[in-house]
Amino acid sequence: MSLTVKSLRALRCLWRGWRCLSSQGGAMNVFDRSMKRRQKQWASSLLDSDKYDYIRDEVGSRLADRVYDVSRTFPLALDVGCGKSHIAEHLSKDIVERLFLTDISDSSLIHQVLKPDCVFIGAMVGSETLYELRCSLQLAELEREGGFAPHISPYTAVTDLGNLLGQAGFKMLTVDIDEVQVHYPGMLEVMSDLQGMGESNCAWNRKSLLHRDTILAAAAIYKEMYGNEDGSVPATFQILYMIGWKPHESQAKPAKRGSANVSFADLSKISKLQTDHQKTNEKP
Amino acid sequence: MSSSNVWTRSRARMKLFPELLAQCSGEAAAYGKCVASTTTGKQELTKNMCVKEFEALKSCFQSAVMLQALGA
Repeated sequence: MSLTVKSLRALRCLWRGWRCLSSQGGAMNVFDRSMKRRQKQWASSLLDSDKYDYIRDEVGSRLADRVYDVSRTFPLALDVGCGKSHIAEHLSKDIVERLFLTDISDSSLIHQVLKPDCVFIGAMVGSETLYELRCSLQLAELEREGGFAPHISPYTAVTDLGNLLGQAGFKMLTVDIDEVQVHYPGMLEVMSDLQGMGESNCAWNRKSLLHRDTILAAAAIYKEMYGNEDGSVPATFQILYMIGWKPHESQAKPAKRGSANVSFADLSKISKLQTDHQKTNEKP
Repeated sequence: MSSSNVWTRSRARMKLFPELLAQCSGEAAAYGKCVASTTTGKQELTKNMCVKEFEALKSCFQSAVMLQALGA
């Protein structure tokens, strides 16, 4: 119950446009969601918007792989942040019977929707994403202006994901990292593609101005520090995939302390242990 | 969006940026090397540490812009 009250307060906060970075129930208000909604709507209104879908298509197909890896059929699934349904096009009816898609909606928290013993599979960008762009801009701003402001959103570190999922009440967590490196002709192409994807910066602490001198300096630094031999520059997208299960009695729990009946020292004798086990099982 | 406003004009200008920068690849590489050397050395990067290389890059870039404007 306290969760819904706190989330209502957070929503009211957003609607009044307060730049409050206050913590409410552990959630921080880092991003200007109305700005993000405008950015995404602008991006989808572009005539060539499918030119910018390559990252989302790749993540969508890898995430659908993980859905297939969970050996279960799902009568009902919810896709939060679906974009252009990059995941749905890879799922088939025998694994997921019914699928709902939502995007940047302040609607129900995942817990109110998820039944016990059901799985949450997610993908997020990790802290190494776009580190080349971040470092180039930082160095350029330092050299040209004497200080620097953040131009890339803060990303989650892998180490924090476990805590976040645990705090949200999920058990049996699995987290793994995928790195996608895309090569671009230069820094400007990276930035225009990010804009076309609707992924421009929308954090509250963003600086709204980037001096043209700084852009020129950053493009030169990017090419020199990270460029490849053929003149292209790489941009790294680190995607963190996470799987968490809503608790249920049928799930395996960690064994009680002191209930071990084999010791790690017996690891070298493991083949002998296996044959002993088989013999005891074969006895009538 | 058929109207021409400050956003469409500035976006069109930015589209020319990579081509113009390509004409100054030497100066850009020199500036990049200067900044990159500070990341490995003991000195921290301060303002205008590579101002000479940057001024060279900027003047090359500006002449490329003028040539492009004359040619268009």
